[in-house]
Amino acid sequence: MEILDKLKEDIRGELEGVSLVIGWERGYDSLHTTPLFIRCPEDIDRLIWNPLCVHNLASYLPWFKGRRVGILVKGCDSRTVIQLLQERLIQREEVVIFGIPCQGVVDLAKIRARVDCSQVRGVSFKGDKIAIETPQGQRELPLEEILATKCISCQYPTPLIYDHLAGEAISSHRPPGLLFAEVEKIEKLDPKERFAYWQQELQRCIRCYACRNACPLCVCQDFCAADARDPHWLSQKTGIGEKFMWQILHAIHLAGRCTDCGECERACPMDIPIQRIRKKINKEIKELFGYEAGVNLEVTPPLYTFQVEEPAIKEREW
Amino acid sequence: MSGMERKELRIVGFLCNWCSYGGADTAGVSRFKQPTDLRIIRVPCSGRVDPLLVVKAFMEGADGVLVSGCHPRDCHYAEGNFYARRRLEVLKRFLPFMGIEPGRFEYTWVSASEGARWQKVVTEFTNQIHRLGPIRRKGDGGGDIR
Amino acid sequence: MVTPEVRFLAAEKIPTLLKRLGERYRVFAPVKVSETTVLFQEYREGVQIVLDRQTTAPAKEIIFPQTERLLSYTYRKDPEDPQKIELQVEEAPQSAPRTIIFGARPCDARGFRVFDSVFTAGPYEDPYYSSRRQQTTIVTIFCTQPQNTCFCTSVGTGPTDTEGSDLVLTPITEGYLAEAITEKGKELLQDEAFVSAQERVEEAQRAKEGIKLESELDLEGIPQRLMELFSTDFWERVSAKCISCGACTYLCPTCYCFNITDEAAGLEGERVRTWDSCMFYQYTLEASGHNPRPTKAERYRNRVGHKFSYHPINYEGMIGCCGCGRCIKSCPVSLDIRQVLREAKAYG
Repeated sequence: MEILDKLKEDIRGELEGVSLVIGWERGYDSLHTTPLFIRCPEDIDRLIWNPLCVHNLASYLPWFKGRRVGILVKGCDSRTVIQLLQERLIQREEVVIFGIPCQGVVDLAKIRARVDCSQVRGVSFKGDKIAIETPQGQRELPLEEILATKCISCQYPTPLIYDHLAGEAISSHRPPGLLFAEVEKIEKLDPKERFAYWQQELQRCIRCYACRNACPLCVCQDFCAADARDPHWLSQKTGIGEKFMWQILHAIHLAGRCTDCGECERACPMDIPIQRIRKKINKEIKELFGYEAGVNLEVTPPLYTFQVEEPAIKEREW
Repeated sequence: MSGMERKELRIVGFLCNWCSYGGADTAGVSRFKQPTDLRIIRVPCSGRVDPLLVVKAFMEGADGVLVSGCHPRDCHYAEGNFYARRRLEVLKRFLPFMGIEPGRFEYTWVSASEGARWQKVVTEFTNQIHRLGPIRRKGDGGGDIR
Repeated sequence: MVTPEVRFLAAEKIPTLLKRLGERYRVFAPVKVSETTVLFQEYREGVQIVLDRQTTAPAKEIIFPQTERLLSYTYRKDPEDPQKIELQVEEAPQSAPRTIIFGARPCDARGFRVFDSVFTAGPYEDPYYSSRRQQTTIVTIFCTQPQNTCFCTSVGTGPTDTEGSDLVLTPITEGYLAEAITEKGKELLQDEAFVSAQERVEEAQRAKEGIKLESELDLEGIPQRLMELFSTDFWERVSAKCISCGACTYLCPTCYCFNITDEAAGLEGERVRTWDSCMFYQYTLEASGHNPRPTKAERYRNRVGHKFSYHPINYEGMIGCCGCGRCIKSCPVSLDIRQVLREAKAYG
């Protein structure tokens, strides 16, 4: 059975017991999908599943606290669900998880960098290629070139937690060595170059907070520290200092919690590579504490605990 | 040693009330000579030091930031500095990624009796910041009528 | 000599034109700033100008900056009597330098028309905005290739609309046909980069006629319709996928809401005006802690209602939207305002 058919069948079976099921449907054109809130059996027909289903729908879960909802998750999205459960931000009995073994989703920014997508007429998938139809003709791109960065190093293609799995579990064929490739590139720069790099990238930030609001672990939402007047972490100005401060604030609040879903960067309307900032902290957390967020329900996130002797921390001798 | 001719830099020190602040006091009472670049902010515990306080200090133009608490196992609140150690270690490894030179931020432990150790820490840290020089500039925002 | 109002501008002449204009004006043009983003930036030699697509952010920022200093203040303590504190205030200048926006789109220009109705038409005139608006010359390029997200023709403008522009450019082979709309536009045409248009006028006419963007939205009766839906669960349903960020408002050429705060450091500070967004919880948060728009449903209702109901009701039918489609294109969850309006008509 096709993944989509299996999903529909499973959803049909659970729909009565939940207030809604969150999936994806076609968006305003054939290149864009949009979250779908399935409330009645007729809505199920609108459900789609393909590499354009980029959104991490787990971002919506904390909004529905107190209601039982169904959610479709890819492997990466399932890590968010686990992390939310670990932090008791959602209740296990309040979510029905429809897992999808996933071979990767696209990065629309990478497609936009290669093809003028403003007038897309059709999109289809042919083996390992995506074919994009525009008034200028059809362009085929190898999926491998335009997959989201997280997919290129994906270690968890099959959800780590689910109630229903649409299809056979698959295991990763991606080299874990690539996990921090982009971070390592920046690490090779000297500090002045790094500062200049971020200054150039962050310059175009418009402080819209799409990165924050798309982040499934930014559960403070309406009560974010960045909006506080006291303490005054950030002013209302749009200077580069505020932009640095915000990105660091977000990254630090995600330390040991970020599941590397990439929603921050995907949501950014200015295409700023901000996921790298979170990823750098993930890298350090992994090195220091051997911890990856959202892969093990039983473990306490590293900054919520400590060891009296920290084997990985080499303190400075004075 | 900071010479009189050297231009003072802005260094912020977050010191815990129970150990390091006492240590600095001991150094003072013992009349140990120390550079004067460091501005001390007394906090209840190194565990109180939100990493963002450090970041904010840099954003507001600090050239260096030092956090000092009780030695591990000696925390007045039993485990505040254990949490601090993890957070501050992550911060220390992260800040250079954004372009803040390694060495501009340090954390350490000084007990109330360790006046000499405090003198050593503050002197070495201050010298280290002077070697790095002033941080680029305040990340100022805002716009005039353009 | 009478300056002709229609001239030809060769594409290759644009850099030298902008450079020359830069001696007398501040010149903004769409510049490629990253692989996928094009933004209006002050023109400097060597930048890559991109005129064949819509900019990532509109030209709004040039006339209505995201951060604008209104005044600076300093407290000074009297060394003799520390109780006595003197306050010095320095107001920001209200006179703007002459500015050119080169390569705007009809939707950018339309955006400023919406702003005008609020900021300059009275009863209260905003001196900061007014000054910049008056001092700015808008050079607009007609759109030959409407995007999937474009719907300008549905909201009372269009890809060849001249309203709000001072000079308009029609793309033709190897250049543009330039037509002055206002005196400010005529002034620019005196530059030597603009040459006799001769037989190109007809080509431009054909080009203009070739531009097609059907009005796809029927907005008849929508202001009243949205009012009827005000207290229904329609808004909760359509805003369910909204993540309540400010991408749509900050990239919107017609969103003009702002905040005024004092940003102080020690004894010095600035009073600044900054963009605000009705999609944020804090936008309507009251000092008491009460929030009349506590969820994204009320906030999204305000965004749609303001543009398609309250604005036309308050300003002689003018829809507070220019149809640029950035709120659709840049939305992290692809929430489509056109679809919401269609559903509003059909709802219930």
